[in-house]
Amino acid sequence: MIKFFLMVNKQGQTRLSKYYEHVDINKRTLLETEVIKSCLSRSNEQCSFIEYKDFKLIYRQYAALFIVVGVNDTENEMAIYEFIHNFVEVLDEYFSRVSELDVSFFNTVFHGTWQAHSSPYQEPIDELPKICSALEPQQACFSPDSSFKGAASTTPIY
Amino acid sequence: MSDIVEKTLTALPGLFLQNQPGGGPAAAKASFSSRLGSLVRGITALTSKHEEEKLIQQELSSLKATVSAPATTLKMMKECMVRLIYCEMLGYDASFGYIHAIKLAQQGNLLEKRVGYLAVSLFLHESHELLLLLVNTVVKDLQSTNLVEVCMALTVVSQIFPREMIPAVLPLIEDKLQHSKEIIRRKAVLALYKFHLIAPNQVQHIHIKFRKALCDRDVGVMAASLHIYLRMIKENSSGYKDLTGSFVTILKQVVGGKLPVDFNYHILLQVLQKYILLLYLTMILTISAIFIFLSLAILFECVHTVYSIYPKSELLEKAAKCIGKFVLSPKINLKYLGLKALTYVIQQDPTLALQHQMTIIECLDHPDPIIKRETLELLYRITNAQNVTVIVQKMLEYLHQSKEEYVIVNLVGKIADVLVLNTVDTYAPDNAWFIQTMNAVFSVGGDVMHPDIPNNFLRLLAEGFDDETEDQQLRLYAVQSYLTLLDMENVFYPQRFLQVMSWVLGEYSYLLDKETPAEVIAKLYKLLMNDSVSSETKTWLIAAVTKLTPQAHSSDTVERLIHEFTISLDTCMRQHAFELKHLHENVELMKSLLPVDRSCEDLAVDASLSFLDGFVAEGLSQGAAPYKPHHQRQEEKLSQEKGNFSWICVKLESYFITQVLSLVPISFPDPHPALTLHPLKGPSICCFPLCVHVFSSCSSHFYVRACNIWFSVPALIC
Repeated sequence: MIKFFLMVNKQGQTRLSKYYEHVDINKRTLLETEVIKSCLSRSNEQCSFIEYKDFKLIYRQYAALFIVVGVNDTENEMAIYEFIHNFVEVLDEYFSRVSELDVSFFNTVFHGTWQAHSSPYQEPIDELPKICSALEPQQACFSPDSSFKGAASTTPIY
Repeated sequence: MSDIVEKTLTALPGLFLQNQPGGGPAAAKASFSSRLGSLVRGITALTSKHEEEKLIQQELSSLKATVSAPATTLKMMKECMVRLIYCEMLGYDASFGYIHAIKLAQQGNLLEKRVGYLAVSLFLHESHELLLLLVNTVVKDLQSTNLVEVCMALTVVSQIFPREMIPAVLPLIEDKLQHSKEIIRRKAVLALYKFHLIAPNQVQHIHIKFRKALCDRDVGVMAASLHIYLRMIKENSSGYKDLTGSFVTILKQVVGGKLPVDFNYHILLQVLQKYILLLYLTMILTISAIFIFLSLAILFECVHTVYSIYPKSELLEKAAKCIGKFVLSPKINLKYLGLKALTYVIQQDPTLALQHQMTIIECLDHPDPIIKRETLELLYRITNAQNVTVIVQKMLEYLHQSKEEYVIVNLVGKIADVLVLNTVDTYAPDNAWFIQTMNAVFSVGGDVMHPDIPNNFLRLLAEGFDDETEDQQLRLYAVQSYLTLLDMENVFYPQRFLQVMSWVLGEYSYLLDKETPAEVIAKLYKLLMNDSVSSETKTWLIAAVTKLTPQAHSSDTVERLIHEFTISLDTCMRQHAFELKHLHENVELMKSLLPVDRSCEDLAVDASLSFLDGFVAEGLSQGAAPYKPHHQRQEEKLSQEKGNFSWICVKLESYFITQVLSLVPISFPDPHPALTLHPLKGPSICCFPLCVHVFSSCSSHFYVRACNIWFSVPALIC
């Protein structure tokens, strides 16, 4: 079960956040900073599933933006990992080369996409055979206007 | 482009197209960038948190003014809402806007309504008071002819909805299950799923409709209904066995490519997991097909399923090969999955671990801590008497490195589990190692560990194993090691560890031949005088000293101790000290009272104190008054006071009672039933023995005497 969904950039600024369990407002920023800290301290060779307190974080990096999903134990981590990618691809299609600032300006649209894409408590819709066109998440430059694709390479992830 | 992307795009609010005929994000950009854009740009440009706070507070105060101004149009309100959402996301409270969000959802046109609903779903949570105000809007929208409004209402229902209001909307949602548009059917199923989660008894009667949803021609509806089934099957698996056939058909269709591939295999597999059935044919089919698709997440679930259902050798073989591929893969995510899969299967098939033992050993020293932790989890499950030393050693290393509390608690629990296995037996090969490991565990995790762990450990020492000499040796070793630890200067141990040490020293110091009990008492005394020791630990220490005193023939340490603690401010310590003092005067009595090594014997307690009967009889015969139980005394006291006042039967409002009851002491001897103080309901009649004096007829207060204390209480008695 998904507990929260965050899009945070490398400087720690939250671009989008959606909580599926009630967390007090003052605790949210704390949670977000801790989460982004643990994601930032990981290198490329380390796996994308972090155990944090009593739940798991699954993160994926796209240029300077981290998409982090917090789940409880019953979730299949790989499925969520793919789901994050699916979400990004949908956004990419809608915005045609979506960038980080789009997230801030159109957060209502992002929430809408999220709502249409899945619902709380619903485990993600898998988007599987598209793996061949998967985008390789890149460590790109820090400018917030950089699009998610970065140096778009079409090598499959696996 | 796959179907799901298409569907999502169509479901997205094409409402932007409604307002801007130019359509698309480009036109929308222009109108949005005015206020929100400048805010976002402003925030991004700032570097310090302090400046950000200042800017946001400024923004919030201007927003507050705008939303409360009567002249604000709904369009402006919508803009304000978006900015409020942004501010809340950054962590600044914007609760003044909640009510306006609800109003916006109620009154706005389609676009404004959408923003209003979105704001409501982000701001409020299930137990929020304002949520009730939304119910009416939702009901209205559910009945509207505009499909988008129905969709929005359903979405909000499935996100946050107060439980008490479910009956109000349930029939409307049930209707939507038969709607012609599949998106509405799908949202209705999701809303019902949410209801099932929060109030399962209210949706019992519509299980038949869920079945229809399962067989729905649209894939999305079917997918949504699977969630409900997953949940219901988790609770009661045998009740749904007849559905296995349909689930298998669905799975076959997905695998066979007949259904669109945007589907959640793993939900189905999880559902199937709950059945312990011989569906091997399907499983073989699935696994072979999955290899072609390379969908690894699904693969993982398949493997899990294979091991949960009734074992069939070909399947197990295939699954084992699969796990092998995972574990050996260079990609680290897959390695993680492989290790996780191994954890599931390891208990059923330990040979698998042997095949991959090289990889597992490599993973133990992997630079990634997550992989290490997963490997430790795996090893914990295959611990046996042969490999326990190595595994516990690794766990202790990891324990020393980690700083997070959750990790420590987890690991400490695991190690203790392995070593002190339910106090029946332990894997430990020899005493010395066992005690040393337990010492290490206690010193690292003493404060955060579960209280059962030290209790089990002490019980293990007390009850021991069958061999008496072994036990004595273990205890002797424990005592010696603790004495050494206590000798070390400037070391602070966790309180639980000190408690364990003091108990063991108190019980088993008699086994020592080199040190006398007096020396042990001296050490315990030093610890008692230490400020860093908590009062709970001090009670343990003084109990240990009490046990040791009859063995030490004469000790001025004990005298000093008694002297010190009989004047202590802590009443518990004082009690102990006085007991020690009186017992100390009679050594023979003390020896019989605190025998050596009798901790496992049961004490027979005479609750009626029959040995005092003689004493009581003597007292009664000399004219002493017989014992009156507590309630009898109180009744007599009340009947005495009855003559002084009249009983008042009043019809009280609930908050009047709150006021009175908050003032009246809790032990009020009231034979009347306890009152519930729910804010919405309240008792209507209550009898209070109150002494009421109305000082002036114009006064709005009663002066009330209860339990001999005067209170002034607002007169709201009707």
